[in-house]
Amino acid sequence: MIEWNEQHLMLQDAVRKFVDTEIKPNLEELEHGDTPPYDVLRKMVRTFGIDAMQRMRFEKQIAREKALAASGDGAVAASEPPRKAVEGDGDTMGPALQLIPIIELCRYCPGMVTAMGVSAGLTSAAILSKGTIRQKEKWALPLLTLEKIGSWAITEPGSGSDAFGSMQSSAKRRGDGYVLNGSKTFITNGPYADTIVFICKLDEGNEPRERKILHFVLDRGMPGLVQSKPLRKMGMHSSPTGQLFLEDVFVERERLLGESEDAAGRGGRAGAKATFSMERSGVAAMALGIVSQCLELCTEYARTRVQFGRPIGEFQLIQAKLAKMEVARMNLQNLVFRQIELSAHGKGMSMAEASACKLYSAGAAVEVALEAVQLFGGNGYMAEYQVEQLARDAKVLQIYGGTDEIQISQIARSLLSH
Amino acid sequence: MKILVPIKRVPDPQTNIAVKPDGSGIVTDNVKFVINPFCEIALEEALRVKEQQGGAEVVLVSIGPKVTQEQLRTGLAMGADRAMLVVAEEELDPATAATVLKKIVEAESPDLVLAGKQSIDDDANQVGQILASSLDWPQATFASKVEFSADKKEVTVTREVDGGLEQVAFALPGIVTTDLRLNEPRYASLPGIMKARKKELKEVPLADYGVAGAAKVKTHKMAPPPKRSAGRKVETVQELVGLLHTEAKLI
Repeated sequence: MIEWNEQHLMLQDAVRKFVDTEIKPNLEELEHGDTPPYDVLRKMVRTFGIDAMQRMRFEKQIAREKALAASGDGAVAASEPPRKAVEGDGDTMGPALQLIPIIELCRYCPGMVTAMGVSAGLTSAAILSKGTIRQKEKWALPLLTLEKIGSWAITEPGSGSDAFGSMQSSAKRRGDGYVLNGSKTFITNGPYADTIVFICKLDEGNEPRERKILHFVLDRGMPGLVQSKPLRKMGMHSSPTGQLFLEDVFVERERLLGESEDAAGRGGRAGAKATFSMERSGVAAMALGIVSQCLELCTEYARTRVQFGRPIGEFQLIQAKLAKMEVARMNLQNLVFRQIELSAHGKGMSMAEASACKLYSAGAAVEVALEAVQLFGGNGYMAEYQVEQLARDAKVLQIYGGTDEIQISQIARSLLSH
Repeated sequence: MKILVPIKRVPDPQTNIAVKPDGSGIVTDNVKFVINPFCEIALEEALRVKEQQGGAEVVLVSIGPKVTQEQLRTGLAMGADRAMLVVAEEELDPATAATVLKKIVEAESPDLVLAGKQSIDDDANQVGQILASSLDWPQATFASKVEFSADKKEVTVTREVDGGLEQVAFALPGIVTTDLRLNEPRYASLPGIMKARKKELKEVPLADYGVAGAAKVKTHKMAPPPKRSAGRKVETVQELVGLLHTEAKLI
């Protein structure tokens, strides 16, 4: 893929129009008024028929898995990763159609993409890759269509980058089920989530480092589960972030993803890591949206802002900033094209490549957005100008989904392991 | 029911238009083109009729350069069934466009032609009317509401006229042109965009319609409107009234 085709541009156009009418006029409220982003997101998903497409795709996948299960080899069916059975036919439409709304939303509201991505992406993917058919039907489908909002809960006050090593949240067997305890923080959608994938360690009285990692599905309002109010943060205000507190929450075995403690290969650490890899690859599209918007705003400003008797775009120091932004935009677009192309051929990025991709994308977004603030000068520091928001929003790309430092160590590990 | 919707490719009304230095037209480099907003409203209405009646065929037609395919594809993605492009590199005047459309109507024999009341580029507001008279069909322009009788043989149209609303009714076939407040056009959806790839988009050269050299109206020169000059502050009401008399000659 070397450029957007006519259909891609048609969707880009339609989503841009939607953003202009539905999001731009409400930006103030979404960014500074604690208005949850879900109604607008649901409207978008319905308007563009994304929900219908997700449902269709889901039903196809479930039918295939059921057929496999019926053919006698249930174990094979259950361990089949979700989309592996589909051979990519080289058609870029599917993957492009998923990324274009992300890019367009990020021009105004990167937080919305975070809220949507964690719910319809991360949380549902965790259930789809580890759950049984019954669990997928019950919990994954409503997340894919945004009918329900999901959270993927891994981070804790004492465990961030060292997610599994320092994890305190625990599950203990009791009767036919488990008793869950622990607290989670920085959980996207936490305050409003209907469905929560809670990641914890099975406490069998053994060494914490050796404990199995289990994933449970929780529903809003379960006895013992408390969801906090939104936390105040630097940016991404349109994405509500919160804390979760679990005190002796009893769950039946049917809430354990995979309904087996030994789903290690697809559950456990490897499963969570696969989810990270997916989270990382979405960052290039987000960065592309932020950078494109900054560049557009800056170009216009450089043309119209007059100082010393001429438009500031005539000064070479301003030109250098614009040129660097354009280089970043081109690089990001190529990364997005590569992702689309890989996905069209039924392939994904390796963990190391996804890390490299995220490291570059996040850095480019932060650099460009801060330079955009600089180019706007005093105006850029004012909340009235959009670059101020984008600069605050961009920063988290270097932190969530694995910090820059973690990405670097993963790239290096992969390089040195041969 | 078959509905024919003629659409026109025009510059996006949101973009700033610059006139070429020689006055021969507007600068089209880097200008985004869209379906004329009134035509888009006509298409939306046709799609709603199709949905309400549980089956009507919506046929799009446009006259314009080959790139008009983009606008037709968008129309197909919104839900039209098939499209036809009369490829014309030169600009046609309203009467010539109506002549081409008349031949298409005669070949397609639709029950209804739903068109925009005017295009936002030349603002002629003539094609629908000329087409109706040359076909000797009934017409209702500036529609703000379109309703069909139970047997779908008659249409009642509410028109926005000076000082109020007027209702007219006629037996099909006929022509309705749409005003701004008729509806709000939908977005092209994801499944719509996917399906549009497989829908028919037929191209016919303008030469097939034998209208070469028929244009009676030609654009001679375009010029940007004069820039508004700065206002002036006056000290007293008397001074203002005086200037309105002597300079502005308004009173």
